[in-house]
Amino acid sequence: MILAVVLFFLQVILPSKMMAAEILIMALPTLAFIFLFGYTGQLNFGTGSLFAVGAYTAGILLARTDVHVLVTILAGVFLTGVISGIVGFFCIRQVGLIFALLTLAFNQLIWFIIWQWRSFTGGPDGIWGIQRTAIHFGIFSYNIKPSFNFYIVVLILFLLTFAFVRRLIESPFGQVLQGMRDSELRATAIGYNPKTFKWMSFVISGMICGLGGSLFALHQEYVGEHLAYWATSGEVVMMALLGGTFALLGSVIGSGVFIFLSDLLNRFPSLATAGGWLLIFGVILILVVMFVRGGLYGGAEAIYGWLKERVESSDKQTVTEP
Amino acid sequence: MFNLAAVLAQVFNGIQFGVLIALLATGLSLIFGMLGIINFAHGSLYMLGAYFLWSVMQAIDVPGKFWIGLVVSFFLMGLVGLLIERFLLRRTYGQPEVYAILITFGLLLVIQQGVGLTYGTIPLPLSIPAILKGEVSLGLFKYPLYYLFTMILGLAVIFTVWFFIERSALGAMIRACAEDPETASTLGIKTRNVYTLTFALGAALAGLGGSLHAPMIGGLQHTQGGEILLISFIVVVVGGMGSVRGALLAGILMGVIRGLAGLFWAPASEFVLFVAMGLILLFRPQGLLGRKISG
Repeated sequence: MILAVVLFFLQVILPSKMMAAEILIMALPTLAFIFLFGYTGQLNFGTGSLFAVGAYTAGILLARTDVHVLVTILAGVFLTGVISGIVGFFCIRQVGLIFALLTLAFNQLIWFIIWQWRSFTGGPDGIWGIQRTAIHFGIFSYNIKPSFNFYIVVLILFLLTFAFVRRLIESPFGQVLQGMRDSELRATAIGYNPKTFKWMSFVISGMICGLGGSLFALHQEYVGEHLAYWATSGEVVMMALLGGTFALLGSVIGSGVFIFLSDLLNRFPSLATAGGWLLIFGVILILVVMFVRGGLYGGAEAIYGWLKERVESSDKQTVTEP
Repeated sequence: MFNLAAVLAQVFNGIQFGVLIALLATGLSLIFGMLGIINFAHGSLYMLGAYFLWSVMQAIDVPGKFWIGLVVSFFLMGLVGLLIERFLLRRTYGQPEVYAILITFGLLLVIQQGVGLTYGTIPLPLSIPAILKGEVSLGLFKYPLYYLFTMILGLAVIFTVWFFIERSALGAMIRACAEDPETASTLGIKTRNVYTLTFALGAALAGLGGSLHAPMIGGLQHTQGGEILLISFIVVVVGGMGSVRGALLAGILMGVIRGLAGLFWAPASEFVLFVAMGLILLFRPQGLLGRKISG
């Protein structure tokens, strides 16, 4: 609830409402990554391509057909679910590094298909002609063209997804996943089939990426093949690390800081032309990994814990002194 | 449509490209075998090597500047590798490998964009040295002399590395550390120094690969490490992580497959590599010549 209020005011603080919407949209694949990495221990380098599948599905439907906006979003989520079901079926058979490399290989495979299937996906040209228009509910209609209205839609969908993932982690299903992350052998011995659980978590994570992608198509009103390239997955990994991979809130913190900073740094022409902002992000990434493992969220939590301890210990001192 | 000469030329191109990739893959593979990490910065080290060569060739103007540049760049890259291992990666040992991987990912950005800022984003020209210009006749077809030269030099370097690792005392230490670092350290091997050496060697080989490749593609650009990195990953996975012979074999194999696939349908050349990697990972995760890996 507090999160809802804070995120509602995000669009007031930031330079533009579209940037606030982009932050929440990019927080979705980051959330999916954190869910998979932090809670099941799988390092997925394929979030970018799944994001792109969602974006292309929604984009193609919006640009070429007349279906309802919510249907296109659902179609994006559903198709990404199917694709990640196939990808996951192969990937979950491996663990650790091999898993990471397999997801990277599939990421490039999907990118290649999108890039080459010119007649359907537009190839290097991408999908043009997507328009954010009104969402019709019977006699009511809600125009999502103004950035504020669009932000509200994105906010509601993000909060629903966030609540769903948090609930999922606390559920017995999530507990099994975390148990498997800590010791797969033990979970198997208790009688859980790790493959089923891993596969299901992969598909859920993929569908969240797909939701993000569908919304991104609406946000940009354009979809390009660069979304599926592995650099996008890399950006998601960076956002997750920046925000903190041990807590779901890290997703929105990470994407927020990443998008805000990259926008800010790109305002300096000398940095923007040579991609200097990426250099700064590289340095930040190294520093985060070396010194603040929990990312910004974990770092803040550690400082908060330290302060609390200080206050408590000083309280004790005043009590014992007299 | 496909005459024998064209196919043979593609096979030769494939071998030549494969040898270049093997230069990168050897280092990548050794680093993986020892530290258990995939080095995302390897592509940018490859690119950096070429830029060092260019800088040396700009700075001095003597007849053999290409050769001097090649040697200087090789050792400079070794130094870069040493510094990276000493000050960055060393701090992550004993912790989940993911963190070291992420550090190399950060390094990729730092090196790539750092070069972009210092040398500019416009491609810099680098031509083939005059002595290696021209073509040689190989029976059915003519082949550029420089390509033949890089093929032979690359093979010679890889065989030297292989010989060093398989036959020398220091090489035995490297193999011991790759096999079981804990036992190796109880036997009195300073494992950390061996790690440093391996990383420096890997970086130097990657830089050499970049230096040799640059004149072929006509110049340097700060983003050129990306594609080559993905291909080297594939080669390492297919060849078997930690195996020098595997890297060479898979490099040549993948190079030839890529070349022949490109003959039929140009865009497929990258695609077949990913399919090959997927198949290997699914059915033989340890790679063609790799040892069985656990976890």
